[in-house]
Amino acid sequence: MAAANEKITADAIEATEFIELSRKYRVTGVPKTIVNETIEIMGGLPEKMFVRQALDMPDETPA
Amino acid sequence: MGLLSAQDEATLKQHLSPITLPVQLVLFTQAFGGSESGDVAKEVLNEIASLNDKVTVVEKSFVLDTEDKAKYKVDKAPAIVILSDGIDTRMRMYGAPTGYEFVGLVEAIIVAGTGKIDLDPETMKWIQAVDKPTHIQVFSTPT
Repeated sequence: MAAANEKITADAIEATEFIELSRKYRVTGVPKTIVNETIEIMGGLPEKMFVRQALDMPDETPA
Repeated sequence: MGLLSAQDEATLKQHLSPITLPVQLVLFTQAFGGSESGDVAKEVLNEIASLNDKVTVVEKSFVLDTEDKAKYKVDKAPAIVILSDGIDTRMRMYGAPTGYEFVGLVEAIIVAGTGKIDLDPETMKWIQAVDKPTHIQVFSTPT
């Protein structure tokens, strides 16, 4: 995502190495994603679902 | 003796072969008070770089190279900043890139080195429409 848009920065963090940070974001399972300090995504999701959640887009409504 | 078996090296070399752009892996480590993972990170990066001429490793000190640290907004070490032909891809890895993290690192290097992002066209459209600063942090573990 970061490579596709210069507004986006993406950090991959090894949770056991940065314990303080993991505590701050209450990382109890991995993967856990935090976007702009506010959005939390638990676990791995399919691509579209992940991106929609990360970008705070509303859920897709069935046509 | 490297970290990878000869067979894994051959597989990785094959994965890295589509790379056409120079990729610089800027590694920030902390010699004193830092963890051993900085050494592991260095070993992993050097091993990857040995498999493809386009990939190079640049070492920086987390303590002394304050200008670079500020430039790349690196706030913890070990940190790996991935550049594509000298341009910041805004992809960072913090901690030793082993296990699952290693897979992510290799994928990021391939994106940086090919300029190709393997995402659905619709997903790409959503991502490209982002117009406010967005900071994504993904926590994972090697196993």
